[in-house]
Amino acid sequence: MLQDVISAVRADFSAGASTELRAQLNRSRSVALLAGNVVSNGRSDVSGVSARVYRSGSYGFSSMAELSEEAARSVLKAASENAAFMEKHAGRGKPALPKLPRAVRPLEKDISDPAQSVYIDFLRQVDAYITSHCPNLISRTVVASEDSMEKLLCTSDATDAHFIMPRSYVYVILTAATPDGKPVEMFRAFGGRNTFDVNFTDPAALYPGIDKLYSQLMEKREGVYADAGVKTVILGGMMTGMLSHEAVGHTVEADLVLGGSVAGPNLNKQVASEKVTMTDFAHTAFGETAPLPVYTDDEGTPAEDALLIENGILKGYMNSRETAQHFGMKPQGNARAWSFSDEPLIRMRNTSIHPGTDKLEDMIASVDDGYYLIESNNGQADTTGEFMFGVTMGYEIKHGKLGKALLDTTISGVAFDMLKTVDMVGDKIWWTSSGMCGKKQPMPVGMGGPALRCKVMIGGR
Amino acid sequence: MERMIKIGRMIIDEAKALGAQTVVCRISESEKKEFNVDGGEFSLMRTLFNRGVSVTVLKDQRKGSVNINRFDEAAVKAAVRDCIAASESAEPDPAWEYAKGPAEKQFCSGSPECDTDLLFSRTKELMADIAEKHPKILMEQMITSHDFWHGVFMTSDDITYYSKTGSYNFSLMYSAHEGDKATSFFGSGIKLAKLDRPVIETGFIERELSAIEKQLDPESVQGKFTGPVIMAPSAADVVLGTVLGNFVSDGSLIDGTSIWKDKLNTQVADERITVSLTPSADWALGSEDYTGEGFPSEDYDVIKDGKLVSFMLSQYAANKTGGKRCGNTGWNVCVPAGEKSVDEIIAGIDRGVLVLRFSGGQPSPSGEFSGVAKNSFLIENGKIAKALNETMISGNVTDMLMDLRAISSDVLYDGSNAIPYMAFNGVTISGK
Repeated sequence: MLQDVISAVRADFSAGASTELRAQLNRSRSVALLAGNVVSNGRSDVSGVSARVYRSGSYGFSSMAELSEEAARSVLKAASENAAFMEKHAGRGKPALPKLPRAVRPLEKDISDPAQSVYIDFLRQVDAYITSHCPNLISRTVVASEDSMEKLLCTSDATDAHFIMPRSYVYVILTAATPDGKPVEMFRAFGGRNTFDVNFTDPAALYPGIDKLYSQLMEKREGVYADAGVKTVILGGMMTGMLSHEAVGHTVEADLVLGGSVAGPNLNKQVASEKVTMTDFAHTAFGETAPLPVYTDDEGTPAEDALLIENGILKGYMNSRETAQHFGMKPQGNARAWSFSDEPLIRMRNTSIHPGTDKLEDMIASVDDGYYLIESNNGQADTTGEFMFGVTMGYEIKHGKLGKALLDTTISGVAFDMLKTVDMVGDKIWWTSSGMCGKKQPMPVGMGGPALRCKVMIGGR
Repeated sequence: MERMIKIGRMIIDEAKALGAQTVVCRISESEKKEFNVDGGEFSLMRTLFNRGVSVTVLKDQRKGSVNINRFDEAAVKAAVRDCIAASESAEPDPAWEYAKGPAEKQFCSGSPECDTDLLFSRTKELMADIAEKHPKILMEQMITSHDFWHGVFMTSDDITYYSKTGSYNFSLMYSAHEGDKATSFFGSGIKLAKLDRPVIETGFIERELSAIEKQLDPESVQGKFTGPVIMAPSAADVVLGTVLGNFVSDGSLIDGTSIWKDKLNTQVADERITVSLTPSADWALGSEDYTGEGFPSEDYDVIKDGKLVSFMLSQYAANKTGGKRCGNTGWNVCVPAGEKSVDEIIAGIDRGVLVLRFSGGQPSPSGEFSGVAKNSFLIENGKIAKALNETMISGNVTDMLMDLRAISSDVLYDGSNAIPYMAFNGVTISGK
């Protein structure tokens, strides 16, 4: 657990500036078995202190790879000098940030640090199961990983906090060949928040998921190319989560709104079908703990839910303290930093479209000629809301029934156009949290959603 | 340097005392000075001081690795103990192998010293140049920095390398705006050793800003057709990244999923295509001096005149597959220029697409890809006809390599790679 090397430095904070001082430890553990070979077996601990100082509309920041009071004083001094440089040479003359209530949020519990043998032994059992139960593979990879961020935060005018965010996963990647010898691949992540020893006590708990992955791969190796063009599709919950995060979520991050995103001119306007409501949840969603809960952000703002779209109307943005002041909104705890050497940026936490009332089987039965798209390996979108998602598992829908599996394809569209075509919303939520969002810095995020019926463009032949 | 060497010696002694036969470590310090522009205005100045200690051991051919960023003796010794414990959990694998010494060498590249005032003034000048010459451009974010790194690489087999490097880096993310109209965002970037001229004149920054300003009235391609596609250097990764990542790298050859695993010394591309990895090129800043396994980095060709002449195998993967270790493990990709300018290539196309950015799913192990042609233009009758949106391209990289149309004489040198425009026939282009 991090020792408090920063509280004593509070006395050095300058009057008239908003200041944050942070000590942080990022821990990662990773083991990879490729065709049974341990090709990666590593541990990483990265720690240090950083300071950020806000003056007249600009920030100064500094960090040092050392956990000591002396290092904390050094980075505070350097950050103050950088803020002064910016104020002198590029000052924006903005007022001070509105103060937040002072509060302290102590650490609730420490986390364990399993030995490397715990990861390797678990993977060996999973790999042995795949070897004995999944014939006709040309390759298999299993990976165990854990990453955690522990942060100690001391602020001039907000909440001081000490918190840890651990998450751990087992990734299974299986490859088979099509009848004409081309490799096809399927991937699945198991796990979520908490350390590896908490999440993975019994390898057998993964076997039903591996069986399903394998059976989908066997269908996919006999798969067909999608027919390119605009189609009616049922997006599975994972795809909806990707849509929520990539195509809508990024456009309503207030820093990207200031950078010219499509959300700027659309606030309080209809951007989606009235069946669509979407929230960036802080720590609790639909009555349960969210996949990666955030209680205080790295500016010391207490985290609360950010309502983004309500019944199709764009209602708000995700903010830092600075952008909240600019837009006259309330900061809700979205400013987060990845490493001790990173400044807080506006990031999503657990972003999801809310569930509706439709049953998945009714949604599939309603499509005469289209696709049911389930799994994605990546997604990208830009500030216009135009998005692209890779589709790694899907099926044809013919006359209301599932048909052949699809080979890898891609879907694309413009979020605020595509969301207006949503006319059925499933009643069940799927969440994922194994990925990293990339935006100058990586950041663990949760994303989720129900199945949606809508129209998108699909790539193919 | 002396302090880092002392830490390296301590790591090697400690690990050997705990039973390791091979010890490889890297001890480094880095410093970054950075300016951020957000929404067209200066927003942040950062100064970062970091350290790194990475330790890899082989104990009875069992491998373990640990990374920390502290130099104090207690933390370093704890990291060595962790590393030994990690290795003891692994299976023995005779394929792990590191370079043998004796070897000692020092490397210095780029501009290790930072001129902070000049970096700030060049950043300010770049903002002013863009505002004057490209008034429709809104800078979503610009990050400019000087990055300094120095470190020692030491092994228990008598190798000591010391490297020092520094460079100025400019990363621009922007879109064009006019009234309610906005383009997709686009990223330009350049790595420079010197700030001896306005940054807007370097790389393709001016050319890319101009192109984005012409994309305010995009339309989708109507229907679907098969035709030629010109991949700009900024979109080349869909082809080159797939070739290097999916077909010739360690993972796909160890597990046998590479579709080129039996293609060595055979024709895999048009004979006009050569793809080299060249860390020693004068344009490659901060490039690899030695591989992670301790072998000095050397330039080599992956594809020479269309023939696959080398895989990108580490010594480990070479031992695993019975192949030959490649010359370097950096990614300084060089594709030699062709003879026609990009304008001449466009002039020869009746109907096709110029792709400046590709937004797509990861190409499959078989080379199949599909995605959105972002920041792109429709070519008709030898001319740029209009900007595109909601247009997808799809195909197979192996087919494209064999059906090359042209390589441009224009080459983007961005400090890491040297890439021309590459035009391919037979790509599926589809719109609404």
